[in-house]
Amino acid sequence: MAQLNIQHIDKIYDNNVQAVFDFNLDVKDGELIVLVGPSGCGKSTTLRMIAGLEDISAGHLLLDGKDITQAPAKDRDMAMVFQNYALYGHMTIYENMAFSLTLRKENPNVIHKKVLAAAEILGLSSQLNKKPSQLSGGQRQRVAMGRSIVRNPKVFLFDEPLSNLDAKLRGATRREILLLHKRLKATMLYVTHDQTEALTLADRIVCMSMGHVQQVGTPLELYDSPANKFVASFIGLPPMNFFNATVREGFLEGKGFKVALDASERALLMPYAGKEIDLGVRPENVLTEGDIPMKVFSNENLGMNTLVHGHIGGVEAVSNKISAKFRGWCDYKDGDQTTVGFGRKHFFDKETGVAIGREDKA
Amino acid sequence: MNEEKTIQLDRMRYTKNKFSSGFALLAILFDVFFFISVYGSDVGSWYYTILVGASILYNLIFMLAAFLSSEGVKNYKLGYSYLMIVLGVIQIVRIFIYPMRAHAATVMVQDVPVAVMGDGQFIRLIVYLVLSAACLFIGAVVGIQRSRALSAHLATLDVKPA
Repeated sequence: MAQLNIQHIDKIYDNNVQAVFDFNLDVKDGELIVLVGPSGCGKSTTLRMIAGLEDISAGHLLLDGKDITQAPAKDRDMAMVFQNYALYGHMTIYENMAFSLTLRKENPNVIHKKVLAAAEILGLSSQLNKKPSQLSGGQRQRVAMGRSIVRNPKVFLFDEPLSNLDAKLRGATRREILLLHKRLKATMLYVTHDQTEALTLADRIVCMSMGHVQQVGTPLELYDSPANKFVASFIGLPPMNFFNATVREGFLEGKGFKVALDASERALLMPYAGKEIDLGVRPENVLTEGDIPMKVFSNENLGMNTLVHGHIGGVEAVSNKISAKFRGWCDYKDGDQTTVGFGRKHFFDKETGVAIGREDKA
Repeated sequence: MNEEKTIQLDRMRYTKNKFSSGFALLAILFDVFFFISVYGSDVGSWYYTILVGASILYNLIFMLAAFLSSEGVKNYKLGYSYLMIVLGVIQIVRIFIYPMRAHAATVMVQDVPVAVMGDGQFIRLIVYLVLSAACLFIGAVVGIQRSRALSAHLATLDVKPA
């Protein structure tokens, strides 16, 4: 059992730069939480504070109800897996995996059992006599994970563990981490800037920007109901399209386009009548049927889908740029004219960027 | 065989025989002490024979062979354990060459008979050679035991020794 409560944590460096602001999160036992955000948003700093590698400037950290805010890293019963594996090159895989337990002077026979069990889980049994330099990047990362597993920690912390791997290996190792989580049923915190990793791995995602938590929720919640414009633009690939639009009676009016609103959308936008808002439409929600004119400037065939980029409403401006993900193989040429429609729409307050209808939750 | 013993044997599949390897290196160290003491002596012209050249050559060969044995026994190679025994026997035989012969000899220096080797140096050299041989024997015996145990264990697992 490992329940982690992170209460109002701040990180302020000696030069008064604040990296993390009022971070709050309750991690349930066995949950896999992914901290996602762009570089410099404070996600790794948060993880390092949890691990005890950085001091916590304010707030409290509780593990199973016990305050460990000031506890040294070695007493926190957490294991961290780093991006660069941090393996000892002169030791064999077996010795690397056994190292932390050897330092603790555990019984060698017990260490042996634990290392073999971890190697079995990670498919490293045949590699135990090799040196790290003889393994591939994915295998090395598995060794790093194995080193954590043998310790049987209460919480696993992963700091961008797949960043050094190529795309194919990243996908495979990601699936292995997911299987590992299911098998160990361990509490895990995982930091990444890759939203695909976040969406595929997480039980819940914490989306961060500039040291602030933007939204905490399940992958579907973040994708389908983003709390604000930042989350909407960060989650989803290609990112969401945004347009300036004014709320009119029963429709939205933008530069060169008009979009009809259904009853629920009308009710939602009633307080914004006559005001400008940001309209968000995901590329996959851009429909081939519709009456909004679009001039194509780029066509990317991905096999199953085609990404079409263009401008809508006959206005060739950045604000009218649109990316659409159409099913199947399309052969649009530069300058082709077509018409599109908008399916699922997202509305954001122009000033605050908060999703309209979610102001109370933000 | 109880479980603890089996695990202990299985551990050898992934851990080195540092015990035997360490003793082989220790044997080299005592040999170094031995030849530093011998070659530091300069009494008349007693040492200026072909024997000193052969001794230097043998010391080089010994250090190389002992080092190779150290690496071999570390990986449970049975042959290197036997090589360590041979080297140990030679270290004992060496007692009868330099220390004994030098201790028994005298040279005339300005018409005065001078002992080539004093009692203190004689005992010290014997101790170095005995310690060097003892280290090799201990390392070899442990190496043989462990190598055989590992081979037997691997046979039960149907795994070929590396």
